[in-house]
Amino acid sequence: MKKVLMFLLLAVLSLGILAACGGNENNDTADNAGENAANENNDVNNNEEAVELDGELVVYSARNEQFVQALLDKFTEETGVEVRALHEADPLQLQEEAGNVQADVFISNDLGALEYLNQQDLLEGFDPENVESIDEQFRAENNEWIAISARARGFIYNKDMISEDEMPTQMEDLLDPEWAEVENGYAITRGGNGGMIGNVSALRYEWGDERTTEWINSIQENAAGIFEGHGDIRRAVGAGEHAFGLVNNYYYHQQLEEPTDNNVGFIYTDQGEGEMGAIANAAGLGLVSGAPNDENARAFIEWVLEEENQLAFVGDSLEVPINPDLEPPYEEAVPFSELKVQDMPLKELGNYFQDTRALIEDAGLDLELR
Amino acid sequence: MKQDKQQESKQNKEQYAKVGDKKSPAILRFINRKWLNVWKGNPPGPVLLLIGLFVAFVMSVPILYVIWRSLSAGADSWMRLLGDRIPGLLWNTLSLTGAVTFSAVLIGVSLAWIVVRTDLPGKKVWQWMMALPLVIPPYVGAVTYIIVFGPSGWARDLWQEITWLNNLFGGYPVNIYSFWGVFTVLTLFTYPYVFLIASASLRKMNRNFEEVARSQGMTTSQIFFKVNLPLLRPAIGAGAILISLYVLSDFGAIAMLRYVTFTAAIYYQRAGFDIPSASVLSLVLIVLTIIILWIEARTRRKNKYYQTSNTYKEPDTLSLGKWKPLAVLYVAGVFTVAVILPISVLIYWTVIGATAGTIDARFFGFAWNSIKVSGLAAILCMVLATPIIYLKSRHPSAISTVIDKLSYAGYALPGVIVALGMVFIFNNHIPALYNTFYMIAIAFVVRFLPQAMQSGEASLSLVSPRMDEAARSLGYPAWKVMIKVIIPTILPGILAGGALVFVSSIKELPATLMLRPPGFDTLAVRVYYEASEALYHQAAPGALLIVLVSIIPLHYLLRKY
Repeated sequence: MKKVLMFLLLAVLSLGILAACGGNENNDTADNAGENAANENNDVNNNEEAVELDGELVVYSARNEQFVQALLDKFTEETGVEVRALHEADPLQLQEEAGNVQADVFISNDLGALEYLNQQDLLEGFDPENVESIDEQFRAENNEWIAISARARGFIYNKDMISEDEMPTQMEDLLDPEWAEVENGYAITRGGNGGMIGNVSALRYEWGDERTTEWINSIQENAAGIFEGHGDIRRAVGAGEHAFGLVNNYYYHQQLEEPTDNNVGFIYTDQGEGEMGAIANAAGLGLVSGAPNDENARAFIEWVLEEENQLAFVGDSLEVPINPDLEPPYEEAVPFSELKVQDMPLKELGNYFQDTRALIEDAGLDLELR
Repeated sequence: MKQDKQQESKQNKEQYAKVGDKKSPAILRFINRKWLNVWKGNPPGPVLLLIGLFVAFVMSVPILYVIWRSLSAGADSWMRLLGDRIPGLLWNTLSLTGAVTFSAVLIGVSLAWIVVRTDLPGKKVWQWMMALPLVIPPYVGAVTYIIVFGPSGWARDLWQEITWLNNLFGGYPVNIYSFWGVFTVLTLFTYPYVFLIASASLRKMNRNFEEVARSQGMTTSQIFFKVNLPLLRPAIGAGAILISLYVLSDFGAIAMLRYVTFTAAIYYQRAGFDIPSASVLSLVLIVLTIIILWIEARTRRKNKYYQTSNTYKEPDTLSLGKWKPLAVLYVAGVFTVAVILPISVLIYWTVIGATAGTIDARFFGFAWNSIKVSGLAAILCMVLATPIIYLKSRHPSAISTVIDKLSYAGYALPGVIVALGMVFIFNNHIPALYNTFYMIAIAFVVRFLPQAMQSGEASLSLVSPRMDEAARSLGYPAWKVMIKVIIPTILPGILAGGALVFVSSIKELPATLMLRPPGFDTLAVRVYYEASEALYHQAAPGALLIVLVSIIPLHYLLRKY
């Protein structure tokens, strides 16, 4: 018995040694290959346009892995570039690593974060092909970031628990504690969530800080559930754990596609006469300045801008593509042209990013879960 | 004596080389004598000492860095956190720690007493079955409890089908995402620490004390409270410390059940790159940990219970009598909720996952990453632990004690703090290794080196220093003694330590989450991500694999206590 155990241990550990050594070599060779390839590409590129890509690409993504991984796999399949991804990364990681740049491309679901990084000179602009397919208001000045898909905030609700006319219709309705009284209450995300940060920034633009703080305090106190992500909210509302929840519109699309628990509806907020319009935001990507695999990063962004891949970028998230020529992958999605959208230029979000985080932190919503 | 002279002359030369001719030989001789006094005339070779100092430095640097960062966080951060955040977190953390420790001690001691001292049917089997929850990491346990008792769980479905329950009590009453949810899960998966320590202590208890008590007319329950319990106090204390340190450091289970303690708060702050706040919270957590360790050291010094061993008689087995069904029900009940329930949930979802094809190349890639990084950590720990325990046992002195104590720094502290320090250091000072898996492996070494040390020390204590002396007298230099004599003799202990480190590393979650380079996910990370996305069929195979690997050192743990 003892011998067998010893043998097992030895086997496992020697496997570990092999693994460590093997991994070591792989990494080194991969790194070298990447560097060489990048250098070569640089040289070759000056002479002729079409080049075979090689090596690797490091992508930091603030989005949920499920919405991004398929896109990255598609890129690897078509170009042979190995993509190493860090999902649900915080934009500030780029700032922290400014002296030791790791990422090549940053994908975010909050334009505020992208514009903030741009203002900190952490992103680099260039003129990729087909960038004109995206309206200028959805790009940074020199294309430091480019938005691909848009979303609007609103309430997903469970039709078995609450009817459409019982639902709140405006963001400011949540200032009222009465919504804590609905059956099973409502759900929001933690304040550290990118979507929530964008939402709060938009409210600050509209209302100023004082009223926004009041709003944060109100939802923090009255929400029945505070979740880490929006996916949790749509599942919880679909299952009847909460009557409604504050999410982006595409989570509603996702829940409708579920085989069960899909009797849900959606309210775009503030659509009435004289109201501010739905809070919009977009998901996009940017080239990190000083990217270790700069060539691959540029190639990736150009690749994403191909129309087929713009749709792949939208992918399973079921957002609405910003390119007006593209059919939304989710057919019943309300086109942005039919929505009343808040009149704030989305770039504006970047100016609010940092103070918004401080505001949320002061309220304590960033650490609240329930 | 000759040896000493050699050492002395060598040291003289070294001193000379360093300071030149400026100091008089008298001072040199004085320093030399002091140096020998520190080591009680037996100083270690310079290489051994350097290795020891290096390890101690590496082990303590992340923590020193966190402390330094938090002190330079600025009055602003401190005031804001002290005013609003720290009181709430303190309450969350301390109430949970206290409650879990109390109930785990209660369950652990009562189970140990029933299993060891009474005529419970099948007591030999129960002795290791009750320790089995140790193989289930609490975050895996939390996932299974969410699946069963969550707001959309199986228990709710069952509840809604039984109409009279509905009519009598209304809607499904269990909220797993609450204090009580976290409390239950942590208690169920940590009580075995107390159980193991208490059973060992009960088994060693001398019958004579009880016989005296009984002859004075005490009943069994009186004996338990007046004789057994006091003698168990050191064991209970040790178990309670283990559990409270665990609760302070746990991240996975707590985050999944949406509770926020210091550890979780530090994780979220660092994930949002609010480094000053994360450091400040870390410092508070470090202080909490030190207070607990201090309490332990104090109580250990104050309460000494001696049992004479020369008249040792094995404790007799008490008859349960009419209590037997109740005892069986209790023991089996704990086993059901802490082992059968989580394991069957995992198997159920693993089967679903396997048929859906989730055990694919990607899955094996993650498993391979886990093995790679944990294996490297295990090897490093074995290599580094050996010189340190040798230094400690063969060259005892104030310096080797300090080295030994510093090696425990990362072990006592939560993984998030170690990871926080590592991020700072590697990103700013060792950029070549930043964002490689070596960083995770080094964090594992900082966290788990003491496991390898403890197990190696146990082996080394069985090797008499005479062995070293004999080898030395036959002309081997010190390093050759170590390689030719000591290491082969204590190899089983070192390997066992390596295995412990390997398993702890496979299970480790927060440091891996914080330090993983892009594209390098391990099984633990996947289980955490997939479970939090409610993709249970994807999470279950990895979780089950982690549980299976954790069985490896169980044998060792059972023997240790």
